[in-house]
Amino acid sequence: MSWFTDRHFFLLAVVLYGLSTVYSVFLWRKGFRRDDHVNYFIILAGVALHTLAMTKRGLTFHSCPVNNLYEATTFLLWALGLACLVYSLLPRFKFLCAFTAPVLFTVGIFALMPSLDPPHGPKPDFSNWLRSLHAATILQSYGAFGLAAAAAGMFLMQQHDLKFHKLRAMLSLLPSIQRLELITLRLVLVGFVLFTIGLVTGEQLPRPEGKPYLSDPKVIWSALLWLVYLELIVARMFFGRSTRRFTIGVVIAFAFLLLTFGITNYYSGLHHQ
Amino acid sequence: MSVVVIGLSHRTSPVELRERFAFAESKIPSALQALRESGIAGEAVILSTCNRVEIYAATELEPSKAFDGLKQFLVASSHEVGSLRCDDRTAQRDVPTFGEEIYALAEPQSLHHLFKVASGLDSMVLGETEILGQIKDAYALAHQHKHTGARLNKLFQRAFNVAKHIRTHTNIQRGSVSVASVAVELADKIFTSLAGREVLVIGAGETGEKVARALLSRGAKSIIVANRSFERAQTLAAELKGRAIPFDDWSGEFDKIDIAISSTAAPHHILDRPKLEPLMKSRRQRPLLLIDIAVPRDIDPAVNALENVYLYNIDDLQSIAADYLKQRTEEIIRCEQIIFEKARPFLESRENQPQMRHGPDAVRGLDASKQLPAS
Repeated sequence: MSWFTDRHFFLLAVVLYGLSTVYSVFLWRKGFRRDDHVNYFIILAGVALHTLAMTKRGLTFHSCPVNNLYEATTFLLWALGLACLVYSLLPRFKFLCAFTAPVLFTVGIFALMPSLDPPHGPKPDFSNWLRSLHAATILQSYGAFGLAAAAAGMFLMQQHDLKFHKLRAMLSLLPSIQRLELITLRLVLVGFVLFTIGLVTGEQLPRPEGKPYLSDPKVIWSALLWLVYLELIVARMFFGRSTRRFTIGVVIAFAFLLLTFGITNYYSGLHHQ
Repeated sequence: MSVVVIGLSHRTSPVELRERFAFAESKIPSALQALRESGIAGEAVILSTCNRVEIYAATELEPSKAFDGLKQFLVASSHEVGSLRCDDRTAQRDVPTFGEEIYALAEPQSLHHLFKVASGLDSMVLGETEILGQIKDAYALAHQHKHTGARLNKLFQRAFNVAKHIRTHTNIQRGSVSVASVAVELADKIFTSLAGREVLVIGAGETGEKVARALLSRGAKSIIVANRSFERAQTLAAELKGRAIPFDDWSGEFDKIDIAISSTAAPHHILDRPKLEPLMKSRRQRPLLLIDIAVPRDIDPAVNALENVYLYNIDDLQSIAADYLKQRTEEIIRCEQIIFEKARPFLESRENQPQMRHGPDAVRGLDASKQLPAS
């Protein structure tokens, strides 16, 4: 089975995410009425294959698999999928998978592009625990932000239905909007803390002589993202920004993250040492 | 032994007639004893509620003979034991002759009927669950006094299973079909929990009171009542264990409350956007559910455009209740299919018994040709 590489396992995982996306469209059209477990188990199977793919690659290189854009993206998706599975265990949060599956599928397809996974150069040095901590916390924070965006999407749909007196709001088995807002805020806070730890540890890592930390495109992009999330949190928690604006902000911030993550990673000198 | 049922329900007779046939719970064991001693039934269960009086009997008699005997028993009992009467004056009246008021069903319709009743398909409020508890109580009473045997035990257990199956696998019991319960469900969709929520009732009308009671029963913390007549406000507040405030002070409560129910007789809007906007700021954007059940409306529809405000008027609530009912009605065919499917093994088991000579009979007896109206 040596021909069956980690990429094949990941491909199978993406196929399952795609299946879950199709099933999610079906659930959405049915108004999220039946609290079935099908979607949860599809994502669970996908995450299991995904884990296998990452483990296989990690064992091949004896390091955390975050050494190129493909690996970083799959790590991000894995964190998102895992967090989705955990949060879906909360009462009435089964449908979180339906909102997360499209992200897992579309970004998974993107990650599968061969150009994102060039052969490794010199083996990356992960003997420094700070480097591992940096990579893990940053990518897990993306997962938390992604899940927050999914919860925010659920909130926006449910709020719209309630505002416009759609029967779907009553029939669906989604959580109350107050609960959705709370979960969104908590996920953003968790993501923000992890992101901050990731940025601080990143600053401690060795870099080329005379190259300031804030001169790298990805660091600048990360600092910008950090400020965006800080603004969202402060405005919501201390200045009474409306829930709707907050949740829209969370969705936009994550969309920005997804759309620009690859580009900044590509141009980052620090991340291609 | 075949199972027959005879009875009358809200579908076939008015309350004035039903109440004459109702059995008091304390009299049911002796009535069942008398019924069995008469030889009409080997086993029997009497179900007596406000909406129906039915006798389920397992009998060796031909259904037509059993129906005659059961009818005589029912009429005789109505002279002796009636006691669930809503109005005792009617007890003195004679029982009239019957046309289509009393129905009599033999197998397999009797089985289907019990399964439908247990599933709430024959209830006044389609899909309600209270009837299942009442059937369980009726069966338990008969069983406790040893008036049931293998046939009815198996049948009633099957009926409970069918009702559970239908509740789980169809939408027949899904959603609320009254204004008060729709309001509670709405609150459930907005707030994390109803526990600890403060409710303001503006205008002490009947529907407003019902909604407030429904919210209280689901854990709302307290009720504040504002009414033009302060005495009426105090009375209602005392009943709801809340507090009364002068009518003109209600807007001062808006920073505390989560739900407002308005049902005043005011000819104009008492709450509009310019009035609510500053109040929402003081609430720090906490969600606010406004239920306007007044006609003419008390709350300007424009307030629904405000952030975190959810306004529902009486038409919205009734429309949701009607949609739910429509959805339940659409489920009837599915439920009936399940019932037919679940009844089949029970009927087949009887047919396989060698001592049973008569197969499924058509409805006979009294007005046996008159089937129950479609649900």
